[in-house]
Amino acid sequence: MKLSPKELETRVSVLERKAIREKKARNLAEIQLEKYSLDIYEANQSLKIALASSTQKQLELEYLANTSSNVASDATLNEMIAEMVNLTGVFCSSRYGLFVISEQGNEVIERTNQVWGKAQGWHKHDELKKFIINLLPFQQEKILDSWNNLHIENESTFSNGTFNLISYTNVTLAGNQIGWIIFLNNSEKCNQCNKDRHSALMTSRENLLAGIHRRLTDIKILKRNAQLQDSLSKLKKTRHQLIQSEKMASLGQLAAGVAHEINNPIAFIRSNMEVLKDYLSDYKLLSAEIAETIKKGNNLNASAFNDIREKFDLNYIEEDSDALLKSNLEGLDKVKEIVDNLKGFSHSGNEILVEMSLHQCILSALQVVGNIFKYKHTIENNVSGDCPLILGNAGQLQQVFVNLFVNAAYAMKDGGLLTINYSQNKENLIIHVQDTGSGMDNETVNQLFTPFFTTKPVGSGTGLGLSISYSILEAHGAEISVESKVNIGTTFSLKFPSIS
Amino acid sequence: MKGIVFVKFNEFIEELWGDEFWDTLLNEANLPSEGIYTTVKSYDDQELFTLIDLVVKKKNISSKDAQFAFGKWVFKELYNIAPTGAHDFKDVFEFLHAVQNFIHVEVKKLNPDALLPEFEFLSETVDTLSFHYQSPRKLCFFCEGIIHGLAEHTGQAVTVGQSECEHKGNERCVLEVKKV
Repeated sequence: MKLSPKELETRVSVLERKAIREKKARNLAEIQLEKYSLDIYEANQSLKIALASSTQKQLELEYLANTSSNVASDATLNEMIAEMVNLTGVFCSSRYGLFVISEQGNEVIERTNQVWGKAQGWHKHDELKKFIINLLPFQQEKILDSWNNLHIENESTFSNGTFNLISYTNVTLAGNQIGWIIFLNNSEKCNQCNKDRHSALMTSRENLLAGIHRRLTDIKILKRNAQLQDSLSKLKKTRHQLIQSEKMASLGQLAAGVAHEINNPIAFIRSNMEVLKDYLSDYKLLSAEIAETIKKGNNLNASAFNDIREKFDLNYIEEDSDALLKSNLEGLDKVKEIVDNLKGFSHSGNEILVEMSLHQCILSALQVVGNIFKYKHTIENNVSGDCPLILGNAGQLQQVFVNLFVNAAYAMKDGGLLTINYSQNKENLIIHVQDTGSGMDNETVNQLFTPFFTTKPVGSGTGLGLSISYSILEAHGAEISVESKVNIGTTFSLKFPSIS
Repeated sequence: MKGIVFVKFNEFIEELWGDEFWDTLLNEANLPSEGIYTTVKSYDDQELFTLIDLVVKKKNISSKDAQFAFGKWVFKELYNIAPTGAHDFKDVFEFLHAVQNFIHVEVKKLNPDALLPEFEFLSETVDTLSFHYQSPRKLCFFCEGIIHGLAEHTGQAVTVGQSECEHKGNERCVLEVKKV
């Protein structure tokens, strides 16, 4: 197709404009691509920075997690601080780390004669330690709230490389002691000087403070605990003494009755002995007369012997002597029994609980208090040998029953009935001690187990009997309860756990 | 609007009516960009509307037809430069679902600031699909054209209509595609 010159001219100018547009578009595209390249470069750079920062953050987090678990561990104070120095030294790429304790400006020699080294861990390095201690302001005794840096003008070299910067902080320990944590760094490679790490180090310092505080508190608690244990054992001892004292006091009250109990058999034994003494004289006379008869040359035949026997009434003497000796032995047995019971009662003994019979225990207690019930009272003891065994301390429980029986007698001044029964269920054996005495009002019942509370006249009671009985029963895992009606009587119920 | 649309519109007009007609359009349109289009830049939406208006006026066709024709033509062009995964779809409906979930995701990776239409699918049967076309540019007829281009590519016969259209006074545009 042939074009006219004008058409050709138009065509050329259209193509020219098109070419110009294309060229400009290409330029635009190139500029845009450069911009994209720059954007990508910048994005890449900021990604690298973000990566470096997150790597560092990760290290910081690891460091903080390690220091936290170190602080929270069961490690002792010294172990915890040693591990803290180790972790921080590694985190900061320090040359050396030290933990020094000072008191009134002077170093306290402990296990702290070691230093931590990047390669060697904890090891002895007196020379280095001496060098550092001379540089640090131990005398100031001021507690820092952060890490301080001390620059050394002449770079120092020890076996583990050079350092020219000392970073240190201090913390209060027990007493007047101050703990110093020190790191030796090279300022060019030092992470301690890195501002980003500063906050991690401050946080770990706070952690350390909390860890020290906790351990010091633990030590205080342990000491306090030991004191409490000590007080407790003293208290136990005192309680034991108190029980014994109260026992002796009640024994004092019972003494007159007991003396009477012993006096009776002794009186009739003595009287019997007087008679036996006379019988012995008769025997001596008899013997002399037999000797005289033989001396005279007279034969001693059966008839003569019988005559002599009849003369001295020997049949009666022999018969009566048997009876007197039997009575004396019984009397002595009675005295022995009373003395044995008293011995058992007054014996201090231990507090060990063993399987025992309450039947026997109640009998012994009744024996001790027997005299006060002898004339006006009736005792009905239904606790037989069939009564199940319990875990108990016979001496202590005898004391409890003596106390209850004495109180019952006191409540029944004009006589009455003391009944001792037992009942049982799966879990318990219950002893009921019932009297028909004056009874108590509610106010008295409420104070019954209060130490030093007594209704007896001054000098008649310690006011400790029931409170001590209560504590003895408590130690047996037993409960005591009381029901009382004025002018009707009182029943104490002692609930012992059964032996399962 | 991304430069690719302007570059392709330029090619479309030149293919239909020659570079002199395109030159005339630019001359008369007096555009801020002076018609210097490159795919790596973005341009004011209004430039495309000005150019379409001029075509409509000069060729005495409706704006709807112009948009539709450009849409139908441009599908294969865009398809050719689409990321590889976009070539796996063999069905019109399947492809339309993938536009939002796959193709637009890929476009956003390269052009985080691109403003793309959104499809809200309303109902679908074996042979009908209706969706709400949402775009502040209101290029629903262009979208109809693209769907036709897509059907041509998959070898399926479809009809595309709108039960609701903003250009007819409705509040939204709802496109209905039916396989025939």
